[in-house]
Parts: sequence; C-alpha cells; structure tokens
Amino acid sequence: MEPEQFQAMFKRLETEVQKIIVGHNEIVRKVLIAFFAGGHVLLEGVPGLGKTLLVKSLSQALGISFKRIQFTPDLMPSDIVGTEVLTETNGRREFQFKQGPIFAHVVLADEINRATPKTQSAVLEAMEERQVTVFGDSHLLESPFIVLATQNPIELEGTYPLPEAQLDRFFFKLLVTPPEPAELKEILKRTTGTVAGEVSKVLPDDGGKLVGEMKQLLRQVMIAPPIEDYVVRLVHGTQPEANNGGPAQTTVKQYIRFGSSPRGAQAIILGAKGNALADSRVHVSYEDVESIVFPALRHRIILNFQAEAENITTDHVIAEIVKQIPRN
Amino acid sequence: MQESLRLPNHERPEDLIQRLAARLSRHLLWDSLLIFLPPVLVLVFAVTLLFRASWLNPVAAIVTIMGTLGLALLAIWLRLRPRVPSIAAAARFADRQAGAKDHFLTLATVDPANQPATFLARLRRQTSGYLERVELKRDFPYRVQRSAYWSAGGSLIVVLLLYFFLPVAQSARQPLTLSQRLREAARELAKKPDLKALAKELETLAAKLDDPKTAAEEKQAMAQKLEKKIAEQQKKEEQKDNRDLLGQAANALSGTEQQQSAGGQEQKKDQDKGGGGLQTNAQQEGQGESKQSQGGSGEGKGESTAQSSRDIDQGKSAQGDPKEPGQDKNRQGDGKNNQPDPNRPGKDAQEKAGQTQGGSKEGAGKEQVPAEAPPQGGPPADRFYQPGEGKEGLKGAGYVTVQLPEDIVADSKGETRATKESKNNRSKTQVPVSNVPLPAHVPNAATEKQPLPLEYRGIIR
Repeated sequence: MEPEQFQAMFKRLETEVQKIIVGHNEIVRKVLIAFFAGGHVLLEGVPGLGKTLLVKSLSQALGISFKRIQFTPDLMPSDIVGTEVLTETNGRREFQFKQGPIFAHVVLADEINRATPKTQSAVLEAMEERQVTVFGDSHLLESPFIVLATQNPIELEGTYPLPEAQLDRFFFKLLVTPPEPAELKEILKRTTGTVAGEVSKVLPDDGGKLVGEMKQLLRQVMIAPPIEDYVVRLVHGTQPEANNGGPAQTTVKQYIRFGSSPRGAQAIILGAKGNALADSRVHVSYEDVESIVFPALRHRIILNFQAEAENITTDHVIAEIVKQIPRN
Repeated sequence: MQESLRLPNHERPEDLIQRLAARLSRHLLWDSLLIFLPPVLVLVFAVTLLFRASWLNPVAAIVTIMGTLGLALLAIWLRLRPRVPSIAAAARFADRQAGAKDHFLTLATVDPANQPATFLARLRRQTSGYLERVELKRDFPYRVQRSAYWSAGGSLIVVLLLYFFLPVAQSARQPLTLSQRLREAARELAKKPDLKALAKELETLAAKLDDPKTAAEEKQAMAQKLEKKIAEQQKKEEQKDNRDLLGQAANALSGTEQQQSAGGQEQKKDQDKGGGGLQTNAQQEGQGESKQSQGGSGEGKGESTAQSSRDIDQGKSAQGDPKEPGQDKNRQGDGKNNQPDPNRPGKDAQEKAGQTQGGSKEGAGKEQVPAEAPPQGGPPADRFYQPGEGKEGLKGAGYVTVQLPEDIVADSKGETRATKESKNNRSKTQVPVSNVPLPAHVPNAATEKQPLPLEYRGIIR
C-alpha cells in the first residue's frame, strides 16, 4: 500500500462519517487515527452530543462488525465477554462458549463509568490483551478491534470513575464539545427534515486485511531522532517527581500528582505518525506531535487537589508544558 | 542514487544541509574572531607600547603576546565548540526557511538503513521540491553580532586610554638608580666578547658607587677614566651595534659624573650658606645636548629609551662645558627667553647664567621660595628694628622678597667664576631680601643707600 492510498481511504472515511456527524472534524480524525494506530478511544461529553452516533457512523463507514454495550451498575463481566452455556448436541451435553458483545471489530462501551469496576476490568483486559478468558479458556478477539468508550462528566452519582490504570489503556481521550451555532443549524437541517444522511461503506468486504495493511503502513512512517527526543522531553516533563529542572517544572510540581506513563509517549508517536500519513507525509513533524499531545496525555496525567481547587485542567498543564519545553 | 539524479537542480537536499551547516559554522567563527580579535590586538598593542617604553623586556613581551594568542585561540575554541550548529540544527533552519514541515530535518537525521527505501526516496523527492525555496546567500547572510561591535568599541576605548595615559604613567615611573643603570649597561656590554673588559670595569664602578666608604672624588675620577676608555673604544669600534652599546654605557657614566659633581657641590653649598643665588634646574637644561649625545650613539637612538635619554641629558648638563658653542645654541633653541637682548648689553652677561639655567621655565626658582620664609642675606641696620624685632626678623610677619640675578649677589660677595659655575648645578633656592643694597654699577639702580622710610614699612608688610 502507498501513502496516497492510505490518505485517500482516510479522507473517504472522514467524509462518510461527516455526512452524519456535523462538526467534530478533529474528533473524527483522531478516532480514525486511533483506529489505524490500534488504540482505543474514550469520548467524554455531556449527553446528546452525538458520541454514540459518531461511533455507529464510523463502524458503518468501515463496514466491519459493530456491537454496543450499555454499561449499567448491574452489568456483569459475563454479559460483556460471554459465558459457557450448557448445550445438547446429538444427545451429548456439553458446555459451549457463547461470545459476548466484546467479540466485534468496533465496540461501543456506552457510559463505561456506570458499570462496576469488576465489569470495567473485563472490558479493559480485552482492550489490552485482545483476548478474553472464560473459565480458564482464552478466546482471541478478531482484528481490527477498537473500543470506543463514552462517559458523562456530569451526573456522577452512582458512577464508578475509571481508575488511572484503566484510563491509561485508552490511546486517546477526546472531549466532545457542544456544537457551534452554524453546526447546530446544520444538525437541525439534517435531523428534522425528510432526507436523512446515509453512510456508505468505504472498505471492501475483506476490510480487515486492508485495515491491517494500513496499520502496518502507519508504523513505517519515519520520525527524526530530534522529534523523538522532543516527545521524550514532553512526557518526562509531566513527571513531578523527576527533577529534570525543566522550564515547566514549577507548574508540574504545583498541579500534577502523577505524570504520564510510557504509554503516553507511545501514543504520541503513533498518533503523530497517523496524523502525518493522513496528510500524505511519510515523516512526522513537530506539528504532528503537538496536535496529538493533548488527546494522548490528558487522561494520563493525574492532577492534585490544588489543581482541582483552582479549576486547573490537564489541558492547561499540558499547554504550559508544550509552551515551556523547546523543540530543540 | 537514481533518485538524486532526478532532482531538478542536481543537488541533493542532504548536500544543501551540509553546506548550510558549514556556512553557519563559518558565521560562528567570524563572530568569535570579531569578538576576540580586537581585545587581542589591543593587548598586543599594549605589550608593544610597554616594550618600547622598556617596561617589558623582549622575552616577556614575546611570552605575553604568545600567551595572549594562545588564550584567544582557546577562548574561540571554547565559544565555538558548544555553538557549532549540528546537521539537525542546520536542517531545522532550512525547514523554517522553506516552510518544509521538518522534511529536511527528517532526511538529515534518520538512519537510512532502518527506514523503508520507498519512504526514504519519497521523502527525498518531497524535500527536493523545497530546495528552490532556500538560497543560502540570500537567506543566511552573515550579520555582525552586537557583541562584536561592543568588543570593537571597547577595544578602541582601551587603545585611546593607553595612547594618552601610558606616557603619563611612564613619566611617573621611578627611574633606575645610577648603579642599576651602570650594571644594566655592563650586562649589555658583557654580551660582546671584545667589550667584556669594559663591562667588568663598569661593574666595578657600580660596586664602588654603592659603597658609602669610597670617597666622592675617587668615584668621579674612576668614572672619568672609564668614560675616556669608552670614548676611545667607541672611536675604534667598527660595528654599529657595539658603538650603540658603548654610547649607552657612556650615557650611564655621564650620570655618574653628574651625581658625583652634585655631591661635591652640596659640600660647597654648605660652605656658601647665606649667599645669594638662583635655583638651578639641571633636568631642564641641556636638551640640545641630548641630541648630540644621541647622535653620538649613532642609529641606536631608537633603541635607547626615553628614560635613559633623559638621564643622558641630565648627565651632560651636569658636565656643562659652557665653552662649547653647540650647547649654547641648543639652549637658545629651547627657549626664546634665552636669547640675548641687544638693548641691554650690560645685563646679558650677568643674566646669562640665570636665564640659561632657568631655561624656558622662568620663575621656577621663585615658585619654590616659601612664601613665609624670613628674609635672608644682609641684615638691616639695627636702627631700623622695631621694638621686639630681632636679627632673625619679625615672627609671623610677611616679607616682600625680591629675586636678584645671581651674578649681582656673587659680585657683591666677590665670588670667583668657578664658584658661580658650581652654584649653577646646585639645587638650592637662595632668595635675597628686600633691603639688600643694590650695587652702584647697575644702571638705574638706586643711588641712595637709605632703606625704606619707617612710615612705609607697615604698608609693605
């Protein structure tokens, strides 16, 4: 596969999703990047912003299997991963594994923070290991596999916020914001009229193979050692305990409780590669890194009480780090 | 390789980055040179000045200059080393200039062995599209840094300060003692095998001069004897260098004679205490003579120091042969005041000594007279003393002082010419008092012997 083919495919997918989703172009792009980079995405936003619709549209455009799991407090792990059921075949009774909704290419984990930690961990194991274990038997998940989880930042009563270790497994955390007036107008036009948009399938029937090739191409994108160093400095700059004497050290020490894990750096580089390839470039630039650093790090940095008291968000801190750490 | 041949201007992007890095390195080198060179040149200039003023010997001067150059090189290297732009930095500059989104940077820094060939070829092709946007001469011209201007300005100021203040410092410098000068001259002579004997004699004389037990007459005799020897040797010498060295030694010896004669005059001065006279200024005398003595040392004039030339002048003036017409001419050349007044033929002879000794700096003797010094010279008649006054004068009273030509005082005391000449070289101020009667033969002199009437004395005081 050539980079131009990748770019063409990427553009077509964007266009198809945008037939349904008004605005949120960056979110669509980042979701696609995460998909081709082999990551999972956590979408955060208030209800009614089209998070679920976005995921459904994406799966339709990709033309691959899609399952939705609505997380509730009484949801059990077996409801997600599947379970052994007793079946009778030719007079013989035996346990047979019945796959749960996790066995799909695109899984929508809606309101993931409403399930108990036990259930959440079942999903998170699948996300990380690409397999599930039921009664001692491991079952591999088909590739491509992407979990698109949503969570609501309000109505936190009766919710189970995802622990930091589990948040770290998400490649990106994307914030879904309310639409602009012009976008809202367009949404109304599309959803209240008689003509509804329809998403066309972009990938061919053996889409899984093509996606695999595209994933492989993304990893071949070149990155210059100075840019790698820059990513390392950015991620290391989030560590409050690391006495690196960097220019952003004061802010970091003041507001951050835990910095990013190495997964953050991996996410930045892979995301930057996807961003470059989407622009038909075969090398990563500093701009690619800086456009990816926010979704890649914002859920990996844990703020302290002072930051919360002062209404400081992780995006504020990341912006300060990017501003203070020089490129060279 | 095929990829590079397809480039429009047949230049690979990597080559451009290499050339840019080299160019930026040259710029840095220029910056460093422009910053460090002016102070180095100033230091060399200062060392040269100090060397010419004989504050530094040649070895010290060369060592200082070499050390300075070494330090400058070290400083340039230390400044350059951390700043020399890497290939990555040069590529970043090229990217910024061409708006190439890190194409140059990636191409210049990635390891080709670990990258897919198709991607690398593609990147090179994309990057070569930006080559036209970068022109090294246009986009990366050399600009003189502000620090270079500061360095040049500061150095200029230092040069001016050196130029104007070094002579002042030089004049304030303590001269070498006589024996030191003699030893220095002996050292120089000792370097020449045929002048070693003279050098030894000079050393001996220097030792004698340092010895307080040796009589002044003996020292002077030794000096005169040695000077004669040196003069004879100088006439015999064919080599110019040797002649110069001998000339320097002779000059040092002249200083010896001056000192000895001054010592003799001091003794005489003690005997002549109470006599009139004018202050002598031996240093200001004989400036014409100095030219003669330098001429005697031939082309070695440039090598002799200003200090030694001044010493030479002092020495010759102390010798002071008034019969030499050249000396008189030179004195007249130094100051127009020394020229004889045709309207006053009678006074010329009397004033000659005073004027020549005073030189162009007239009244030097007057300035050194203490304002409140009691009058000296002939005592006033007893009848003029007020009650409470003694022969020593009024205590705490001011007096009008009048400076008379030395010859007049000398004539009035009946001194011989030899005594007068010895007084010429004496560094002593003798001020005649107001009520010394003027000699009768002086034109326009008061004929009346009676001093000032009593009723005017209060006014004059």
